Amino acid sequence: MKKNLIYFLTCFFSLSFTVEIIAQNKDSKLNIIVIGAHPDDADNKFGGTAALFAEMGHNVKFVSVTNGDAGHFNKGGGHLAKIRRKEAEESAKRLGIKEYTVLDNHDGELLPTLDVRHQIIREIRNWNADVVLSPRPADYHPDHRYTGILVQDAAYLVIVPNVTPDTPPLEKNPVFLYLEDHFQKPYPFQPDIVIDITSTFEKKMEALSAHESQMFEWLPWTNNKLEDVPAGKNERREFMSKNWSGSITSDEREALKKWYGEKKGEAINYAESFEICEYGRQPTEEEIKELFPMLNKK
Amino acid sequence: MKNIIFFILIIACGISVNGQNEVNQPLRIIAIGAHPDDLDQQMGGTAALFSEMGHHVKFVSVTNGDAGHFNKGGGHLAKIRRAEAAEAAKRLGIDAYTVLDNHDGELLPTLTVRHQIIREIRNWNADIVITHRPVDYHPDHRYTGIIVQDAAYLVIVPNITPDTPPLKKNPVFLYLEDDFQKPYPFQPDIAVDITDVFDKKISAHDAHKSQMYEWLPWVNKQLANVPEQSDKKLEWLKENWTLPITPKVRQSLIKWYGKKKGEKILHAEAFEICEYGRQPSKKEILQLFPMLNLKE
Repeated sequence: MKKNLIYFLTCFFSLSFTVEIIAQNKDSKLNIIVIGAHPDDADNKFGGTAALFAEMGHNVKFVSVTNGDAGHFNKGGGHLAKIRRKEAEESAKRLGIKEYTVLDNHDGELLPTLDVRHQIIREIRNWNADVVLSPRPADYHPDHRYTGILVQDAAYLVIVPNVTPDTPPLEKNPVFLYLEDHFQKPYPFQPDIVIDITSTFEKKMEALSAHESQMFEWLPWTNNKLEDVPAGKNERREFMSKNWSGSITSDEREALKKWYGEKKGEAINYAESFEICEYGRQPTEEEIKELFPMLNKK
Repeated sequence: MKNIIFFILIIACGISVNGQNEVNQPLRIIAIGAHPDDLDQQMGGTAALFSEMGHHVKFVSVTNGDAGHFNKGGGHLAKIRRAEAAEAAKRLGIDAYTVLDNHDGELLPTLTVRHQIIREIRNWNADIVITHRPVDYHPDHRYTGIIVQDAAYLVIVPNITPDTPPLKKNPVFLYLEDDFQKPYPFQPDIAVDITDVFDKKISAHDAHKSQMYEWLPWVNKQLANVPEQSDKKLEWLKENWTLPITPKVRQSLIKWYGKKKGEKILHAEAFEICEYGRQPSKKEILQLFPMLNLKE
């Protein structure tokens, strides 16, 4: 009897232990790190979800691998990098996230070197990340593609003590996810996880608007639409929703119904999607719900 | 009446925005290959057609070809190949054939080479840029594909390679045909009938003597079979360099030329639209490849 009881208790505790180790932290707060190429990429692809995590008390950090010092038509270099670092800080404040780190690598010149790989490994380890997000290595901008490759290259090595030994390795391999894009080759983006961001959509637009040099100057310039940018605050807010709402694809709609149920999934207006990277830990559906607790609020 | 003028204006605007230049200006095509003969093989016919129609074509070889031989090499071979490329350009009737001085067999997608490519595309004020897919048997081909992909967005960014002004409009980027299946097979989005200029293409091949009659036969253990006489040589080139038309390319030819003509075309070259760079509509493709409009 006693033996059985001990056996039972052992099983029980090891079970509760497995449940607990889903997160790196003991206090069950999740650590999310988003690694984008430029200081506004993470906001654009993850801003709504980041605000939801932050509202629930989880720890979100954005990292820009480049300092954005090429993203303008009549500003550039260190001067522009300073402006963009400030914009990133303001955006982080508006989203309510903990940190926005802008690494000092040149914009438009990112290559998947060992030096940058080590920078990324340190960032992921120091944040003690449960979830790491990055672009796919298929995207229009070479900096996006190489950011995707750098994070893939870090995905296994974050647990290897002999790699980047100045920073202790993670005890558990995080889950790595890709941010959404619309490229079809070599295969189209798969929305494995889709988050309803309707309640934080305003915050996301406010955060994107913090990147004034981008949203109201550089990006309209590249589209020959500089003259269409309004001056007033309300008009700018409208301009942002018009240009940055994103559309929900049929694949995403199906995934929304899967995660939120048929009725709610059909009605959601704004969403952000993520694809599970094959490198890093492969989460079960149960684990996904623990890593994205907003999915449990039916 | 007012409506008609408005309508005409809209159509005119629609046409003028396709090339970098105004309506009825010649198109500007730049093709970027790894070695000084790659482009001749994969788009020599299309280049000759563009040139005959008065459009401006430039070939760029990213390496100088200084490794492509069994008993010649280095600067000596590079000089031979540069001269062969110049002769091939003359025979195709194209405007320029630039051979960049990067070593053959040692190409890597560095920032230095990326900047060279950005300058080439900008200085040519290109409407169309054509290159290898990053999937091919030779590493120089793959890295050429990657370098051009890396340049595809940056050619419009003024802070990048700021010694050369950016393009006002993003060109259309296309891939040359290959037969590799992974991660996905080549897709012939555009196929061009080159039957009329096939002899010109073969004549351009003939200009690359160090390759066609020496190095490539040597690689294939065919050196003993290379004919001596020049007319026999041309026959031999035709036998060896007539690319087969795959079922997918045939479908594309039928799409662009109609069933009757498309089924009969003997020689063709095909191109895949790269997802980076401007995405052309069918109407824009017809403007960028005006030879597709010459219905019989």
